This record gives sequence, structure tokens and C-alpha cells, in this order.
Amino acid sequence: MFGAVRRLATAAASAQVSRLQDVVIVGGGPAGLSLLAALKSSHKTRHLKCTLVEGGSLDNIRTFGEDPPENYTNRVVSLTPQSVEFMQERIGSWQYINQDRIKFYSSIVAYDSQEKDARIQFDASMTDGNGVLAVMCENINIQSLLLSRIDEIGDSTILDNTKVLDIVHPNKPEINHDLTAEPQTTSPGLDWPIVQLSNGESIQTRLLVGADGYNSPVRKFSGIESRGWQYGRFGVVATIKLQYEDYRSIGWQRFLTTGPLAILPLTEDNATIVWSSTPELSDILLKVTPEIFVHLVNAAMTLDEVDLNYIYGVLKKDPTDTSVLEEIEWRMSKIKLSELEEKYPLPVSEVIDKSRARFPLKMSHADTYVAPRVALIGDAAHTIHPLAGQGLNMGQSDVAGLVEALEKGVERGMDIGSTLVLESYVSNTWPANSMLLGVCDKLHKIFSTDFYPLVLLRGIGMKSLNMLDVVKDLMVKSMAR
Amino acid sequence: MRPFIQRTPGAGLPQLVRLLSSTRASANAPKYTSASAEELAHFNALASSWWNVDGPQRILHKMNLLRMDFIYSTVRKHLQLNKPETPLEEEIYVPPYSLDLLPKPIRLRIVEDQEMRRDALLNKSKLRVLDVGCGGGILSESMARLSFVESVLGIDLSSDVLEAAKLHKGKDPILGDEKLSYQLTAIEDLDASKKYDIVTMFEMLEHVDYPAKVLSEALKRVEVGGWVFISTINRDFVSWFTTIFMGEHMLRIVPVGTHTLEKYINQHEIREWIETNQDVRDSFKVVDAKGCVYLPAYGWKFTNSPDVGNYFMAIQRTL
Ligand SMILES: Cc1cc2nc3c(=O)[nH]c(=O)nc-3n(C[C@H](O)[C@H](O)[C@H](O)COP(=O)(O)OP(=O)(O)OC[C@H]3O[C@@H](n4cnc5c(N)ncnc54)[C@H](O)[C@@H]3O)c2cc1C
Ligand SMILES: C[S@@+](CC[C@H](N)C(=O)[O-])C[C@H]1O[C@@H](n2cnc3c(N)ncnc32)[C@H](O)[C@@H]1O
Repeated sequence: MFGAVRRLATAAASAQVSRLQDVVIVGGGPAGLSLLAALKSSHKTRHLKCTLVEGGSLDNIRTFGEDPPENYTNRVVSLTPQSVEFMQERIGSWQYINQDRIKFYSSIVAYDSQEKDARIQFDASMTDGNGVLAVMCENINIQSLLLSRIDEIGDSTILDNTKVLDIVHPNKPEINHDLTAEPQTTSPGLDWPIVQLSNGESIQTRLLVGADGYNSPVRKFSGIESRGWQYGRFGVVATIKLQYEDYRSIGWQRFLTTGPLAILPLTEDNATIVWSSTPELSDILLKVTPEIFVHLVNAAMTLDEVDLNYIYGVLKKDPTDTSVLEEIEWRMSKIKLSELEEKYPLPVSEVIDKSRARFPLKMSHADTYVAPRVALIGDAAHTIHPLAGQGLNMGQSDVAGLVEALEKGVERGMDIGSTLVLESYVSNTWPANSMLLGVCDKLHKIFSTDFYPLVLLRGIGMKSLNMLDVVKDLMVKSMAR
Repeated sequence: MRPFIQRTPGAGLPQLVRLLSSTRASANAPKYTSASAEELAHFNALASSWWNVDGPQRILHKMNLLRMDFIYSTVRKHLQLNKPETPLEEEIYVPPYSLDLLPKPIRLRIVEDQEMRRDALLNKSKLRVLDVGCGGGILSESMARLSFVESVLGIDLSSDVLEAAKLHKGKDPILGDEKLSYQLTAIEDLDASKKYDIVTMFEMLEHVDYPAKVLSEALKRVEVGGWVFISTINRDFVSWFTTIFMGEHMLRIVPVGTHTLEKYINQHEIREWIETNQDVRDSFKVVDAKGCVYLPAYGWKFTNSPDVGNYFMAIQRTL
């Protein structure tokens, strides 16, 4: 009974397709907005009728350009020179970046918690970024510049606060047991998917793009398998202030057995952290007072893991136990000042109110990115451990690859929903993404283990040149694509 | 298996030369361009699966990508950048010598100017296309979607494949009747006073009994400055091996019975035929010919040798 009702509902809804579109993009994250801006910027694809659907509100993105919040938001990413170039050259959107809120930086110092002499410095000379390793930038700043570019061009529809409720295939209705029922009626002959929206509209589209993040409803609709695993770790992010501005423009990353902790520079005395932690530790990090949190970050960048574990133990029992403050200060005071200044990041002095948040870390990769009339981009196609700061950047290179395939398809007079057009997008992006996912996964596994022999090996190994080279190679590969 | 080895390369030639040079003799003969009943039965049977891009015609679908590249780049490259009526100040500089001799910044500037003019000219164009032996319409649809094509007429002698073509056309709303139409007709029954900017005959000449007749009928329907694009197969060992032995029998990527070796026409035979017919020679020029080959894991790829295996040819009407 229920089945029949549901089938009838589906048939009824899809009977009134309100619009036909060439491209419907689900998701207004960095990947979806970038695709829309890129399609509308290319003279080969700008004639395509496009609609973007986003479940959340884009209001704060719209106002960001004119009226940004005072403090940095906590979703900050490191953009590679390639992504910046793409936004500059192919989308023409970089001019809309809020210049006051980005930070170019030239190197990262990575060091190990098990062996304090094991450290590597990556700098711009290892990549081809013209003296820049990467740019720190808020997600919202990126979304804002993309949206500004889309608004400037006009001519596309953005529906925010609108959820995709269901996607149906006109030629493959749910199995019809009730033979007396009317057959499903849609626009005759069109085999395009129909996207049913929370505002009551149904749009039938030549090409449906899933830019809808990790849980991608579009991926599920298309039946594309995604494989991967949860790391059992959380990424804790926060916006912080350093004691004073660090003129060196350096990022710092310390490999702890709980996962890497990174402090990345923003303008003036601002910085952002990403702390990969066990569920237990992430609980503590979110619960402790701001003052304790600040001390914990400083401690985790500097002290031995034995000391850290002792402190975590105290806080687990009582996250407000301020005795750890003295404990930390006492242990830090034993390190020579000159060493602190030279080998470690500047001390953190403040954490911005309400900027602490955590995200579960996972790795996943779809078996393919396309099916007839469907393409996946960004996190819908792959999610990666944030340790090399690549997730959003991979989405941008997906967009570049998909637009290139669509341009070629248009030039060849093809139906852009055909797999004949979409296949080259997969063959041009999947292998590189797969390599990067593998590299970051390996790095995570080498460092985030407390399996003793491996830790020992790492401790001894990181000092010896061999291991350093392996790690360096992996890191450069992942950062310099 | 066909007794290929017994056939020395020259053995089949006299017959084909005869076929190719039969044009004049056939002035008022009946339907020389008609396909044999066998050929039509073969394509009729394939009609229903024509548009399954993973089905029996996949290789044709893949080839279509390359031939659209061939058509696009040929048309684009030979656009007349400066028409006689173009005012001097709007003329694009076309140096009378190789661009490579110029310093890089100047060269890039000139190329960019030329490309922009090409885009502008293409944007203004409204070309009319005739697709002969259109089959299920793989090429017809692609041509009809191009922004610089005004309309496409696809003709074929197999009613079933035309039905498949019409059905599939209905699956894309931008392919309205004014853009794309199909007709069951032999080429010589089309009004010869109606000219087209582009006449295409892809993977078709190797299926007809009198290729020269079909070709000359096609040439009659081209506008001055317009193009005839053909693709077919050289009659050589490589063709036999790749299209019939490997394609049909071993790999089964082409439906068995699609090809008949004796009907293959060599690239140079077409050139020779043009050269030996004065009226044709005076107004038509073979502008380009490119070989292409199917690599199983990759798809179709251009080669440097139009004399081996499959090839595309572009013939322009100059007068
Ligand atoms: C802790 C952490 C740190 C990171 N650091 C970096 C870094 O330094 N560098 C980097 O490059 N990347 C980084 N990343 C990754 C980066 O944030 C993501 O890869 C990126 O945001 C993905 O963008 P997206 O557009 O693909 O997906 P998302 O941003 O997830 O956007 C998907 C959108 O789809 C919408 N949506 C979903 N379902 C529906 C529906 N049914 N209807 C309508 N809309 C829907 C959602 O509302 C959402 O807005 C980090 C990630 C984490 C967790
Ligand atoms: C291999 S198919 C190629 C179809 C199409 N040109 C393509 O490449 O996609 C050959 C087609 O030529 C048609 N054909 C064969 N002889 C013909 C003739 N004399 N006149 C018109 N069409 C013919 C067949 O019916 C068949 O559809």
C-alpha cells in the first residue's frame, strides 16, 4: 500500500516538470559555485542554461564582500597556486577576493613529536608557485568571490534555502505492481533526470552535477559506489591569536600520535589551527575553557607526548581543572628560550569565542565520477584527510577537468549529458586524485599510530635521511600536485 | 574467412577504377546510388541499438568525436579572414610567410587576432548541412547542435535506421524540425539546385555499389566555398585486419557483416578520380586527408598516414 502511494506521489510530482535545464548543480559549496562560475565564464559553455540548488542559506556569503564579520571564521583552507590561477585565468573571479583576509605563505615546518630533531621545511622552491607555497583563505571568502562573479555575469539561477528532496529517472520508475495505473507521464521521450525540490518545483536536466558533499544525494541516485573509511579521528578547528604578528609567514605542523596539529598563519596576529585528534581528545578540546585551550595548543606544539598524555588525563576527569595551566607553564619553562624562539611557532595568546568546532575525518573515493547524465565533483567524489590541505583544491581541479570535457563536448556538437563527453573528465582527474588520496592516507597511517614498533621506527627513521626523503617526497607530491 | 591473402594489392584495383570512373557512362541509368538489399537488411537490423553508446555502434560513436574535431578544425582553419569587402582598418594581418619566423610576442598577438576573427566569423555563420547515409543520425545530431550550423538534412535508404534517428532526435528538445530533419531518399532524387555548405558522407562510401556516382552527386550539391567531408576505409591489409578480422570477428566491437573488403576505396583512388575528371578537378580540391586508428583502451586517434586503414577527407569547392 505504502509503496503504491509513494509511487503515485512520485509520478504526480514528475508529471509537472516546471523547467528544462542544461545543467543543474546540487550544492553551493566551493565546488558547486566554482563550476557555475566557470561554465558561465567560458565562451564555449556560457549559453548553457544552468541552475544551482543549495539547501542552506547563502545570505552570509552574499554579505561577506561588503560587510565581513570582524573575526576570521573557523573554516579556513590553504589554497594552492594552481587553484588561485584557475580562479584568476579561467573564472576571472580572483579580483573579488577580500584582499584583507588572505595570507600568502612561503613555507611549512613539519616536525615530529617523538624525535625533536626530526624536522623538514617545505618551501615554495619545491613547488612551481612562484615563491608562494599557498594562500590561507576562509571558505566563505572563496564562496563569496565565486558568487560575486556569478552575479556579475547574471543569466543563471541560484536557488538557496532549497533542498533536493528526490531525484527520479523518468524511464525507470519504481517497479509498477499496479498494472491498471496510468503510466508515468513526463516530457515525452526525454530520458533526463528530474530533480524534485523543497520549493515544489521539479526541474528536468540534461546534466545533473553532484557538488553536494560527502553524503551526496546525487551520487546515491546515480548508483555510483564510494569506498573508504572513517579515521576514527576528528579535525578540531579554531581561530586563534598569536602573541604578536609573525613576520616569517610560516605554517607549522607537528605530527603527534593522535594526529597532526597545524598552526597556519592569517593576517596580522591571527592564525588558524587544525588539530586531528581522537574522539576522546576532541571532546576535551571542545569542553575546556578558552584559557586552557590556548595552553593546550602551545603544549601540544612543544612538549613530549608523555607530558601531554598526563595533562589530557587530568582534563578528562575535569575539563575545568586550572591546575594544568601551571603544569604546562612549568614544563615549558624548562625549554631554553632560544630554542623555543627558533624551533617552535609563536605562542598562542587567545582563541576566538565560539570558533572551536570539530569534523569527523574520513577518506572516501567514488569508483567513477560519471554515469549517464550525471557527474560528481568535490567532496561528493572524494574526501581526504585534511593533513595536506587538499580537499577544496581537489574540487577546483575537478571543476577545471569537467569544464574542459564539457567545452570539448560542445565544440563537437555532443549532448553534454552523454558519457561519451563525460568519460574524459574521469580519465583526466581520477588517477591524480587517487594518488593524492593514497599519499595522504599513508602519511596519516605512518604518523598516527601508537603501535610501538612503528613509532620506534618513525622516531629513529625521521632522523635518518632515508625516511625524511620518503616523507618529504610524499608531502611535496601532495602539496605540489 | 575471406581469401584475403590471395588478393595481391593491385588485384582488386581494376574493378574499382572501373567503378570509380563509371560516372560519365551512367548519366541516365537507374538509381546507381542505391544500396544493395543485403546492405540495407544489415543496417535495418541494427536500428534499434544504434543509439546505445555502449552497444554495437559504440565504435561509431567514439569515431564521431574525432570526425567532429576534423570538421570543426578544417572549417575553422579555412575561414576567409578578410573578405574582399572587408574595410582596410578591420582587416586581420595575415603575413605572407610562416608565422614561425616572427618573434614570439608578435606571433602570439597575430594568432590571437586571427582566432578572435575566426570566432566572430563562425558566430555569424549559418551553415546548411546535408548528411548522406546518415544512419541513426550520430553525425547529423552533432552537426545540428553546432552554433554555426543552421540546419541539417539527413538522408538514408534504410527506413528502419531513419526511424531510429527520428525517435532519438525527439529526446533532445534543442533538435527541433527546423534544425534537423530526416528523409528517406537517394541522393540523386534531391533537388540538385538546392546547395549545401557542408555535405558529409561518413562511413558510407564503403557500403555503396557505385561510390563514384554517389560522390559526384554529392559534389553537385555543394555551395562554392563549401565542403564535402567523407570518411571511409582503405582497401589494404591493415583495414582487413583491424576492421574485419579483429573488429568483427575477434573483438566483436563491430557487428559482423558490416564490412565488405572489395568495397573499400583507397584514399589515393579518390584523389585520382578527382584529377582525371576535368570538371571536378577545376572546381574541387582535396584540402586534407587524415588517417585514423582505433586503439581499444583509448578510442580513435589521428595517424600520419591516410593511406592506411580508416581515413577522413576534406574536399572544398573552390569555384
Ligand atoms: C577540518 C578540515 C580542514 C580542512 N582544510 C582544508 C584545507 O586546508 N585545504 C583544502 O583544500 N581543503 C580543506 N578541507 C576540505 C574542504 O573543506 C572541503 O573539501 C570542501 O569544503 C568541499 O567542498 P564541496 O563544495 O565539494 O562540498 P561542501 O562544502 O560539503 O558543499 C556541499 C553543499 O551541498 C549542499 N547540499 C547537500 N545535500 C543537498 C541537498 N539534498 N539539497 C541541496 N543542497 C545540498 C550542502 O548544503 C553544502 O552546502 C578541510 C576539511 C576539514 C573537515
Ligand atoms: C556505417 S553506417 C554510417 C552511418 C552514419 N553516416 C554515421 O557514420 O554515423 C552506413 C549507412 O549508410 C547507409 N547507406 C548505405 N548505402 C547507401 C546509399 N546508397 N545511399 C544512402 N545511404 C546508404 C546505410 O543504410 C547506413 O545507415
